[in-house]
Amino acid sequence: MADSIEAIQKSKKTYLLVFGALLVGTVLTVLVADPPVFLYWLDVGDHGFDKYDAIVGLMIATTKAALVALIFMHLNHEKKSIYWIFISALLLCASMFGLLFLAKYSPIFDHFFYL
Amino acid sequence: MEIPYIVNARKDTGLFNSKIAIWLFLASEVMLFGGFFSAYIFLRLGADYPWPERTLPVLPGLINTFVLIASSVTVVFAWAALKMREWRNFQIYMGITIFCALLFMVLKGVEYNVKFHHQAVRLDDYSIVEGHLGYEKEGKEYVLDHNGKKIEENMIRLEVENGDKITFSSVRFHPDWVEELISEAAHAKAKIVLADDLKAVVEEGGKETLIAKKGTPLSVDLLKKAKGIYLNARGHNADLRTKALRQEWVVAKKQNPGKKDWEFSEGVSIDMDALSPQLLTEVSAVEFVVEGTAELLFKPRNIKEGPEQSRLRDDTVIEGELMASPMVFHNVDAIDFQHLVMEAEKKGIAPETAIENSWLMQNNEFVREAWAWHLGEVAKLRKMLIDRHGYKKDSEGNLTQDPKREPTHKELYRIGWSDFAKKGEEYHNIELSALERVREKFMGPNYKARGEETFPPLSIPRDEIRFAAKFSPAWNTYYALYFTITGLHGLHVIGGALVLAYYLFFGRKMYLENPEWLANRVEIGGLFWHFVDLVWIFVFPILYLM
Repeated sequence: MADSIEAIQKSKKTYLLVFGALLVGTVLTVLVADPPVFLYWLDVGDHGFDKYDAIVGLMIATTKAALVALIFMHLNHEKKSIYWIFISALLLCASMFGLLFLAKYSPIFDHFFYL
Repeated sequence: MEIPYIVNARKDTGLFNSKIAIWLFLASEVMLFGGFFSAYIFLRLGADYPWPERTLPVLPGLINTFVLIASSVTVVFAWAALKMREWRNFQIYMGITIFCALLFMVLKGVEYNVKFHHQAVRLDDYSIVEGHLGYEKEGKEYVLDHNGKKIEENMIRLEVENGDKITFSSVRFHPDWVEELISEAAHAKAKIVLADDLKAVVEEGGKETLIAKKGTPLSVDLLKKAKGIYLNARGHNADLRTKALRQEWVVAKKQNPGKKDWEFSEGVSIDMDALSPQLLTEVSAVEFVVEGTAELLFKPRNIKEGPEQSRLRDDTVIEGELMASPMVFHNVDAIDFQHLVMEAEKKGIAPETAIENSWLMQNNEFVREAWAWHLGEVAKLRKMLIDRHGYKKDSEGNLTQDPKREPTHKELYRIGWSDFAKKGEEYHNIELSALERVREKFMGPNYKARGEETFPPLSIPRDEIRFAAKFSPAWNTYYALYFTITGLHGLHVIGGALVLAYYLFFGRKMYLENPEWLANRVEIGGLFWHFVDLVWIFVFPILYLM
C-alpha cells in the first residue's frame, strides 16, 4: 500500500491518468454501440447492434472495471487474504453465469443457442 | 474501550480489520449484482418480444457515468489528502464527491420521472404505440372529477341508472373503493342504497333480525357489519357441520362393524334439513341499487369491463352500461411494428402485408403518412449501406452490388420520436434552438414546440388494446430489470454518499485525535464507493447501449 507521502504524491498522477482513460473508454463504448455517420467503420460485425458490438462494449467495460479495481481500489498491491476473498467471489459469480448454459437443455431457449 | 486493529494492521493478515470486513461485504455485493446481470442475460435470451435495444436516452446515462467516475477520483484524492494531513483538501475533495452523488441521483430521478409519465400500449395485432396520454378537456378547461382532480383519458366509464344493481362481496370489498364510489355517486347527485332489507339469523335458533332497512345508503360501516356477520356465520356453521359429520361417522362405524371406512363412506352424509334451524345466515354479498344516474370512472387495471355488467378487482359487480372508453394519446411519439412483424413471421405472413393490414394503418391517416415517409428513409439507409459496404469486385475487376449489411429490425419497423421529429422538421419547417434540442435529450420530445403535426393525437378503442402500461416494471421484463438494477444501484449511491458525508461533516474530531483512523475509514468508504462506480461501468453499456 502506498503509505509514504512521496508514494502517495506519485500515485495521484496515476489516478489522474486512470481518470482520463476511464473517460476515453466511456466515450468509446458509446461510439461503438451507436457510431455516428462519420465513424461508420466503428460499426463492427453486421450493421446495427449485434453480438460483436456487445463483445467489444463488454470488453471495454471490463477493462475500465479492471482499472478501477486495480488502481483506485489498490488491488494491484494488496495482501493475499483480500485476493482470496475477491477471487472466490468472482468465481462464484462466474459459476452462476455458467448456470445459464443449463438453459441449453430447455426447449424454450433452444432457438437462441443455435442462432 | 479501544477497538483493536482499526489503525494498525494485524500481524497474521497484514491488514487492519475493517478492510477485511469491507472486502467480504464487497464479495457478497459482487454476487448480488452478478445475480441480476445473469437474470438480465436469461430474460433477454428468452424474451418472446423484440428486446428494446438502446431505448434509454444515452446522454443522461453518459453524463452520469462521467459524474460517477469523477467522484471515484475525488474520493481517492480525499483519502490521499487525509494521509498527507491536509484537512482543507480533504474537505474539498469529499465535498465534490458528495455533490457528484447528488447530481447522479437528480439525473436518475429525471430519468425515472420521464418513464413513469410515458404511456405504452400493445394493440391486439401487436403493434405498439408510445406517447403521452392527455387529460380530459372541455373547450380549454380541464374536466375535474369528484376529487377535483384532472381525469386521465385512460378510464373505463360506466353509466349507471335508476335500478342498476351494485353487489359487494362482503369479505373482499375494498373500503377505499367503496368510499370512492359513494363520493362519485354523490358528486353526480345519485345515491346508492340497499336494494332489500338486509336480514340475517345471527344467533343459533334465533329469529331473523333486521340488520339494515331497504333504502339504507351505502357505507363502509354497513359492509363491515355484513362482513362480521358473514365471518361469524361461516365459522359457526362450519363447526356445526363438522360436529354433525363426526356424529354420522360414529353411527356409521357402529352399523358397519369390521368394514373398512372407504367401503361405507358413500352412505355417510349430514342431514342438512335437520341442521338448518341451527344455522346462521351467511351474508356473502350485499346488493345495492342506484337511485339517479351517474357516470363512474375506473382505472383499467381495477376493472374487468363488460357491456352490461362489470366486475371490479375486489369482486364488486356493477350493472351499468359500458360507455366508449378509448385510450386517448394527446401526443404519439413512437409507432413500433417490430412485435407485429415478429408475430406475423411466426404465422408465415409477410411483414409488409401484416403492417399494411394493421389497425393503425387501416384507421389512421397520420400513421399511413408517417409510414410512407419512413419507407423513404429506409430506402436512403439501404443506399447508404450499399455505398459503404455493398460493393465487391468480380473476376474482371468490375464493381458489383452485394449488400452485406442490411438495416436492423429496429430501423426497418420502428418509427421513434426522433424520426417523428425529423419528419416534422422536413414537412412543417419546425426549428428548435440548440438548447431545446439538448433538453429533449434528457426530457424526451418537446411536444409544445413541435406541435401536433409532429406528434399527433390518437384515440384507441378499448377493445383494440391487448396490454397497456406506463414505462414501468409492468411494461416488460426489460423495464422490470432496468428499475431493479438501477434502483438497487441508486440505493447504493445514497448509502455510500451518506457514509462519506458523515466522514466529511463529523470527521473533524476524529481527525484531531487520530487522523490515521479517519484515513482508514475514508479508505473503507472509498472502496465501497469505487465498487458502486464499478457496477455502473457495467450497468451503463448493458442497459443503455445494448
